[in-house]
Amino acid sequence: MKKMIIADRIVKSFGEGDERRNVLDGVSVEISEGEFVAVMGPSGSGKSTLMFALSGTDSVDGGTVVFDGKDLSSASENELSDIRRNKMGFVFQQPTLLKNLNILDNIILPSMRDNRKNAASISEKARMLMKRVGIAELENREITQVSGGQLQRAGICRALMNSPKIIFGDEPTGALNSKSAQEIMDLFSEINADGTAIMLVTHDAKVAARTERIMFMRDGTISSELALPKFDGTDLDDRVEEVTEKMREIGI
Amino acid sequence: MYSRIIRNDILKSKAITLTTMLFVAAAAMLVSLAAILVVNLSGSINTLMTRAETPHLLQMHSGGIDTERLAAFAKQNSNVDEFQVVEFLNIDGAHFIFGEKSLANSVQDNGLSVQSEKFDYLLDLDGNVIQVSDGEVYVPVSYMKDNTTKVGDKAVISGKEFTVAGFLRDSTMNSSLSASKRFLVSSNDYAQMKTLGNPEYLIEFRLKDMSGLGAFETAYANAGLEMNGPTVTYALFRLMNAISDGMMIGIIFLVSLLVVAIAFMCIRFTLLAKIEDDYREIGVMKAIGLRISDIKKIYLAKYAAITAAGSILGFALSFVFKGMLLENIRLYMGESENSSWAYVLGIIGILLVFLAIIAYVNGVLRRFRKISAAEAIRFGTSQEKSAGAKRFTLSGNRLFNTNIFLGIKDVLARKRLYATMLAVLVISAFIMIVPQNLHSSISSPSFIHYMGIGNYDLRIQLPGNIDHVSDKVAEIAETLKSDQAISKVAVLTTKTYKAKMEDGSEENMKIELGDHSIFPIAYTMGKGPAADDEIALSTIYSDELGLKVGDDITLVVEGKEKDLKVSGVYSDITNGGKTAKAVFTDNSAGAMWSIVPAALSDKSLIDAKVAEYADKFDYAKTSDIDEFVKQTLGSTISSVETASYAAIAIALVITVLVTLLFMKMLVAKDRYSIAVMKAFGFTNSDMKAQYISRTVFVLIIGIVLGTLLANTLGEMLAGKVISSFGASTFDFTVNPFMAYLFSPLMMIISVLIATMIGTSRAGHVKISDHIKE
Repeated sequence: MKKMIIADRIVKSFGEGDERRNVLDGVSVEISEGEFVAVMGPSGSGKSTLMFALSGTDSVDGGTVVFDGKDLSSASENELSDIRRNKMGFVFQQPTLLKNLNILDNIILPSMRDNRKNAASISEKARMLMKRVGIAELENREITQVSGGQLQRAGICRALMNSPKIIFGDEPTGALNSKSAQEIMDLFSEINADGTAIMLVTHDAKVAARTERIMFMRDGTISSELALPKFDGTDLDDRVEEVTEKMREIGI
Repeated sequence: MYSRIIRNDILKSKAITLTTMLFVAAAAMLVSLAAILVVNLSGSINTLMTRAETPHLLQMHSGGIDTERLAAFAKQNSNVDEFQVVEFLNIDGAHFIFGEKSLANSVQDNGLSVQSEKFDYLLDLDGNVIQVSDGEVYVPVSYMKDNTTKVGDKAVISGKEFTVAGFLRDSTMNSSLSASKRFLVSSNDYAQMKTLGNPEYLIEFRLKDMSGLGAFETAYANAGLEMNGPTVTYALFRLMNAISDGMMIGIIFLVSLLVVAIAFMCIRFTLLAKIEDDYREIGVMKAIGLRISDIKKIYLAKYAAITAAGSILGFALSFVFKGMLLENIRLYMGESENSSWAYVLGIIGILLVFLAIIAYVNGVLRRFRKISAAEAIRFGTSQEKSAGAKRFTLSGNRLFNTNIFLGIKDVLARKRLYATMLAVLVISAFIMIVPQNLHSSISSPSFIHYMGIGNYDLRIQLPGNIDHVSDKVAEIAETLKSDQAISKVAVLTTKTYKAKMEDGSEENMKIELGDHSIFPIAYTMGKGPAADDEIALSTIYSDELGLKVGDDITLVVEGKEKDLKVSGVYSDITNGGKTAKAVFTDNSAGAMWSIVPAALSDKSLIDAKVAEYADKFDYAKTSDIDEFVKQTLGSTISSVETASYAAIAIALVITVLVTLLFMKMLVAKDRYSIAVMKAFGFTNSDMKAQYISRTVFVLIIGIVLGTLLANTLGEMLAGKVISSFGASTFDFTVNPFMAYLFSPLMMIISVLIATMIGTSRAGHVKISDHIKE
């Protein structure tokens, strides 16, 4: 498979003077097109920072991140915005929807920036996605009128609108009850099966167990990896067991 | 700990801290000035009225007088301490000539008087009772103020020559509200001139016990004594002396309220922005169990420090400016006796401002109560609910660019938030446009309609007191009529007549006689006088005398009573708005002045003709009509012009400041949405475009509302002001370039610049800081 993200010895530090500390301490990561990966690790290990660095959302202090053949560290703010808008999707733990807009408008927002003329077809695509994730009837609702799980689905629709090459998810099920979480994960599996790469940052072994590669982080580096076969929907409990075993082994 | 937090905080936002402090300083200065002025004004009035021994009751009277009967009444009444009758020789303003100037246009009843014997003394500028020598005249201090004359000048009063020996303070008639002004001359000079004017009498009493004034007033009225004129009491004299400076103090006070309001707005926006910035910290402090009052203290301390610094600065500044404002009070009323109280009161005033601001900050901080610790820690920003404009959806939007849509949508969804800014913009547009329109109105050629003069090109004016005046007027008229270049000529002579009032009293009335059909003016009601027994009145006369078209008025013409019918009413702001026009002929009474207006057949010759006739008739004043208007209204026009520029500057400063602070607050509030949109690929210029759309949207509404308001409410207000000078109806003459293009453009530019600066931080919002897992 073609490499989509090649991160080479990236460093990211926070703090000033003596208190300065590397949150990412020379991390090298590669993610292939269509791959489904998870990043696990204790709080403060640098999981989210890694995700922000790989997506060009945050700059790095050392090393390089190449996304789809483009070096992100040399890209301008506007180029980064364009890449995020056209080639990446984001799903966060809290549903990051704008409260001024209704559900449909929130979903089509990133696509409307460039293609206002195609509003009709964009809305059509959004309705299709909403139907697929099971929130077809909510398009005119305000975001305060729906549940957390529904908001997260809307967030996933938004991430899918521009047919991204990769979706970054930062604890996307962290704020949901277990039933909603499972439904969201089913959705991610479906999206991945269609060929979109996904990178999830998570604490949850049940989430990580659905991916095909898990990177374990500790103190700003990737301390260990676990490869799994592609998930076919049958042996989830065994996979969770395997992940938990690995976590115990490396002491997370 | 507080001082360190305050210092860090102030260093982080120097510009806003400084602005806020300056507004507090300005407010403190104005309040302190108002207090200092109040104390000095009342002190000075006391000093003046004590030294001059102002009468407790003054009855003005014109007509016959029985002094002995009055003296007997005074003797009988046990409460009378002193009694006197002072003569006042009313002389027409045109007969007071100081070098080039005369008092012809003065709205006051000017007259001569001698120094009183027992009380009601006329004082010099050092507060001493004046002793006047023959050939000297002391002039009311108001004529020093307006530079009519100065000490040592020659004065010609009704043909007799005097030297201006000094200026006088008159505790009863100083105020411009008092209709009469006393000039002080020696008893010998007065006796010589007694036949040259109309004597009036000031019947004056000082009482032993002031509390019996009411009873005494009734007793006087019941005794059937002379009372053909107004009655004025001690309290009213005090009020009249206080009113013009009192009004200035009132205006200073109003301006200080405005400044305090602006300071409040600065504080509100910066404080709300600060709360948004610190949202998470506040939540944490609440979560770990700090009391709200503890958290408030940190924020209050900063504003207490800023306000204290501003108050001290303001108090110091008030000392710098007080001399300037006290000048007028000192000139009219002299030094005050208890000026040390002024500073105490000034400090109290400033303390009130200080407390008001602290209370306001405390009020704004009340929203701490509403901050949910859990929510603050989880989201880091306030989660206000959006409202309204639900049908204005992005999916249904075909009209606007997405950024513009988001800008407008935000304004519609948070109307209450933007209402403050809208209000400020409306007010700014209003105070920018109204003075401007007023200025273009009074400086436009069509303003002549309000001046009671016809449509002529040049006028030649002669004073009434030169030799052979009627022959000269005739000569001028003949010369003009024979001039090929001149198409129309009229002769208009202004004379004074006594008009009988309903209550039997008489009032002097200036009436312009001649053929008013040659250069007709616009009448707001009725038509011009055509027959011998018709008269047209100016708006102010018509209102004051309660006469409408068709009513009758009785004049004393050549010693006989003559009834005239009011044929029309017109606007006139010249001569204090009190003029009348009639066509009857009367050869007896002396003219005050005559004018010969003329129209040219070829307007381009105007300059040449004015020069020609100015040269030919060197005893008369020849001017073209534009020049005449400029001379008559020049000072008013230029002060309105200055005011309109000042208003533009003030409006723009307020607009920029408020927009800037408002935008900073918005960016602080919106960090989360900004981070979200940036995460999904919106660029910094997208964000900027959204903020600009919001301001432009609010701005356009603001400008439209402000302009509408200026042309309705503003026109009404300006009309009220103009009508007090004598115009009946008033319409703005709008300079469309200034009012509809230049002013909005200036507002748009300054608002855009302020928005750019205010939202520059939006680009620095880091996605990873605001979207936490």
